[in-house]
Amino acid sequence: MTNMDLFQTPRGQAIVLMAPALAVYSLFAIWPMIDVVILSFQDWNGIRENRDWVGLQNYHHILYNDPVFWVAFRNTVIWTILSVVFPPLLGLLLALGLNQRLIGRAPLRAIYYLPVIIAPIAVATMWRWMYDPFFGLFTQMLTDMGLSRWIVDWLGDKEVALYSIFVAYVWQSVGFSMVLFLAGLQSVDKSLIDAAHIDGANRREIFKHVTLPALRPTITIVLVLSTISSLKAFDIVYGMTGGGPAQSTQMLALWAFTQSMQIFDYGRGSAVSVVLLAITLVIVVPYMRWSQRREEEAR
Amino acid sequence: MKLKTIMYGSLAASLLSTAAVGAEDLKIWTINYTSDKQVSALTAAEAEFEKRNPDVDVQIVMRGTDEHKTALRVASGSDTGPDIYAYWAGLGLGGEYVQAGMSADLSKYYESYGWDDRLTVPSLAFSESFAEGKHGIPFRFSGEVVYYNKGLFEKAGIEGEPANYAELKEAAGKLKEAGIPAFTFGGTVNWHVMRLMDVILETTCGAEKHDALMAMESDWASEPCALEAFTEMKWWTDDHFLKPFMGIDNRQSTTLWFADRAAMMLEGDWHVPTIDENSEMSKYGMFPFPTGTGRLYGFAEYMYISTKSDHADLAAQFLDMFTSDEFQAEHIGAFGALSVNRNVKQGDDALELHKEWLDVFANAKGTFVNGDQAFPLDVTTEYFRIINELASGNLEPQAAADAMAQFIANR
Amino acid sequence: MMDGMSSSVIPRKRRDPVLIGLWISLVLVALIWLAPVVFILFTSLKSESEIFSSAAFALPSDFQWSNFSVAWAKGNFNQTFVNSSVITVIKVPLGLLISAMAAYALAQIPTGWNKLLLVFVLFGAMIPFQVMLAPLFTLVNSMGLIDTYPGIILPYLAFGVPYQVFILHGFFRAVPKELTEAALIDGASHFTIFRRIFLPVSLPVLSALLILDFVATWNEFAMALVLLQDKNMWNLPLGLMSYQGQFSNNYGQLNAAIVMTVLPATIVYLIFQRYFVSGLTSGAVKG
Repeated sequence: MTNMDLFQTPRGQAIVLMAPALAVYSLFAIWPMIDVVILSFQDWNGIRENRDWVGLQNYHHILYNDPVFWVAFRNTVIWTILSVVFPPLLGLLLALGLNQRLIGRAPLRAIYYLPVIIAPIAVATMWRWMYDPFFGLFTQMLTDMGLSRWIVDWLGDKEVALYSIFVAYVWQSVGFSMVLFLAGLQSVDKSLIDAAHIDGANRREIFKHVTLPALRPTITIVLVLSTISSLKAFDIVYGMTGGGPAQSTQMLALWAFTQSMQIFDYGRGSAVSVVLLAITLVIVVPYMRWSQRREEEAR
Repeated sequence: MKLKTIMYGSLAASLLSTAAVGAEDLKIWTINYTSDKQVSALTAAEAEFEKRNPDVDVQIVMRGTDEHKTALRVASGSDTGPDIYAYWAGLGLGGEYVQAGMSADLSKYYESYGWDDRLTVPSLAFSESFAEGKHGIPFRFSGEVVYYNKGLFEKAGIEGEPANYAELKEAAGKLKEAGIPAFTFGGTVNWHVMRLMDVILETTCGAEKHDALMAMESDWASEPCALEAFTEMKWWTDDHFLKPFMGIDNRQSTTLWFADRAAMMLEGDWHVPTIDENSEMSKYGMFPFPTGTGRLYGFAEYMYISTKSDHADLAAQFLDMFTSDEFQAEHIGAFGALSVNRNVKQGDDALELHKEWLDVFANAKGTFVNGDQAFPLDVTTEYFRIINELASGNLEPQAAADAMAQFIANR
Repeated sequence: MMDGMSSSVIPRKRRDPVLIGLWISLVLVALIWLAPVVFILFTSLKSESEIFSSAAFALPSDFQWSNFSVAWAKGNFNQTFVNSSVITVIKVPLGLLISAMAAYALAQIPTGWNKLLLVFVLFGAMIPFQVMLAPLFTLVNSMGLIDTYPGIILPYLAFGVPYQVFILHGFFRAVPKELTEAALIDGASHFTIFRRIFLPVSLPVLSALLILDFVATWNEFAMALVLLQDKNMWNLPLGLMSYQGQFSNNYGQLNAAIVMTVLPATIVYLIFQRYFVSGLTSGAVKG
C-alpha cells in the first residue's frame, strides 16, 4: 500500500504538494536551460534528424567570425549600465517626492506606474509610431517649434536608435523602481527623522544620514532586479527595430533568437544564449547568496 | 491551429477512411495571401478538385510568411506535414528544403503531364537548380520593375523612360535639381532597399558575374564589379533617396510615393493593384530597371510535393489541375500579371499597367532573383546588414565588399 | 509623510516653498509621462487626414470610432482576444494553486531537502527565459504541442512558479509552526491544513499575485512568438505585432489596435491598483 503511505507521512504529503510545480518547472524551465548548453556544442538546422557534435566551433564562430555578436554584446553592456543608472535614479527621486504629503499623491503614483502594466510590445508599437520620422509625435513637435533641423531618423539612425529605444524603456520601467523605493521608504524609522529634525539637520543631511542607510537593502534589490530585467530586453527591441538598422540595436537575447529561430542555426544561437546565461549567473549567484545571508540574519 | 488541425485533420481523415473505403486527404500548406482574388483562387482549386475526385478531402492551410517558414521547420522535425507545400523557389528558401531531401523528384510527372511544354520558361528556372531531377512546380512568377510618377518626371524635365543605366542616373540628377528624391524605400524591412543593390549588381557585373557572386563562387572582395556596385549603390543612397528611409517600412514609403514625395519605386507586379486601389493608374508609368542584360528581376513561387507524402500521385494530379489552361484562365490575374501557363493571357479588361507587364515578361531574356532568394539565410542576414550600413553612410564601398567576402569565407 | 509627522515638533512653515516646487515638478513630469498615452488615444480617434493636418495633442474634431471596429476586424482581434483570455484564465489560477501548494510544503513540512529545493526554484526567477526560446521550441515541438493551448500554458506555468513560490514561501514561513503542529496533533493532514487554514489566510497575497500574473500573462510576447506559430492561436501581443507589420500605413487604425490591446490590463490595473503595489513589494522588498 505505498499509495496510502504516500498520502499519510508528512514527507509523502510534501511530495504530493510539491510535485506539480516542481515537475512542470523542471521540464519546461530547467531542461531547456540544460538543452541550450548542449545545443551550443552542436550543429543543427532544425531540419536534419541528427544534431552533430562540433565541440567549440559555435563559440569560435560567434566570438571571432560573427560581425554582429560583439555589437550585440556591447549594446547589452551599454543597455545594462544605462538601465541600472537611469530608471532606479529617477524612480528614487519620484519615490522621495511622492513620499511627502502632497495633494494628489495617489493619482500621481498611478500615472507613473501605468506604463509598467502596458505590454512591452504595445509600448514598442506606441513609441515606434511616435518616432515616425515623417508624421510622428517628436517630428511634429520639433516642426511646430521651428526646430526641424533637430529632427533625426529616431529609429533609423545608427547613432541614435539604441538610445531612442532606451527612452521608451525608461518611460516604461521607472514606475517599477519607484514602487519598490516607496515600499522601502516605509521601513525608514520615523522617530530617527524626527530626532534629526530636532537636532536641526537639514533635508540633505537627513537624507544622507538617515534615509539612505535605511534604504540600502532596497537599493541593492532594485539594482539587481534592474540588471536582470535589462538582460532580458527583448520585446521592446524586437518591436521597435528588430535589431536594425544594420543590426546596430542587436542585443544578446534577440541575436540568440534571430540565429536560432530566423536563420535556423540552433548551435550558434544557443552559443549566444550561453554567453548571456553566463553573464546572468555572474550577477545572480552572488546576489542570491547575499539575500540568503540577509534572510538568515533576519531570523 | 497548425499541428492541432493536422492532428484533428488526420484523426478525422482516419475516421473517414474507415467509413468510406478509399477516401484520401490531401494537405496543402501555403502562405496567407492578402488579396481576396488569390485566396478565392485557392479555395476554388480545393472545391474543383474535390468535385473531380469525390472521395478526396483537400485541406488548404494558409499562414503568414514567417509562420509558414517556421511551420515547415516544425513539420520537418516530426512525422506530420503536408502533401504539398508552397514556397519561394530560391536557394535560401525552397532550395534548402530540396537539398535537405524534403521535396520529391517530380520528373515522371513532368513527363507524363507535359508540364515543360505548358509552363513559361522564366518560371521553370528553379526546378532543376538544387538537386537531381525536377523539384516543385511553379504557380506564380513575380517580376519587379521601376514604377515612376509621370508628373514628377515631367516637372524635372525628363523626356521618355531611361533606356540605360546612364540615362537613369541622368534622370535622377534632373530630379535632384528639381528638388525631388529619385527613389523611396523603406529601410526597416531589409529586403526593400536590397532590391536596388540587386539590380545594380546585375548592371555593373553582367549576368554571368552576377550569378557567380550570388552563388558565392566568385570573391566579392576581388571582383571589381562588386566594388563598383557598392559604389553605385552609395551614389543612390547618399543623394537620391527620400530621407529619412531607414526608420520607415515599405508600406510607409509607398504612402509617401502616392503623396508625390519621390519619383520612383522598385516594386513587383503586385504593385499594379495597389496603385489601382490607392491612386490613378494614369499617373504612373513603368520600365524595367535598365541593367543592360535584358534579364527580368524577379522570383518564383513553387508548389513542392513532400517526400513524406503518401499521396504523391494524387498531389501531382492536383498540381496538374492547378496549372491547367482552364483553371489558370479562370483565375487569371489572381497570382500576378502573368500566368505561369504560357497558353493563358490576360484579356482586354486587364489593368493598364498589367498589360505593360505582359511585354516585360515577353521581352525578358532570362531572369535573376532577389538576393534574399539567392543566398542562404545567414548570408542574407549579413547582406542586409552590409547594404544598410552602406546606405546609412557607415561603411565605404570597399569595406562593404570586403565584409561580404569575409563573411562568406568564414561560414 | 515625514513632514506631517514632524509638524508638531518643529514650528510649522505655512507654505514650504520646497514642497510647492516639488509638487509642481512632480505634476509636470507626470504630464510628460501621460503624454504618450494621450497622444495614442487621440490619434486612435482621428481620421487619416486629420492626423496629418492637426496638431499632435489637438482633440479629435470628429471621433472616428470606426477606426476601432475596422482595426478589430482586420487584426483578427476576435480570435486573439479569445486566445489571450483562455490562456490567461487557465494559467493564472492553476499556476497560483500549484505554486501555493509547493510553497506551503517548502515552508511548513520539514523534509530535509527544503532549503535546497527552495534555492533550486528561486534560481529560475533570476534566469532570463529569453535565452532558452530555441530549446523550449524544440521541446514543445517534440511533444506535438506547438500551436496548442497546453503548449503555451505549460511553459507559462513553469516560468511563473519561481516568483510565486518565492513570495508565498515568505508569507507561509511567517505563520507560526505551532499552528500547523496543533492541527496535525488534532489529526488533520497537511492537505487539510493547507486548504482550510493557509489558503484562506493568504487570500490577500494570492489576490495581489493574481493581478500581477494576470497582467504578465496577458502581456507575454517572446514565448508566444516562438510557441504560437499559427495566426489563429496568436495572443493579443502577437496580433498587435503582426498588425503593425501589415497595416503600418494607417495610423488611426494602428493606434486603435494599440488601445484595444492595452485596455484590458489598464482597466484591471486601475480597479485593483493597491494590490499591485502590495504584490510587488511584499516579495521583493520585505521578503
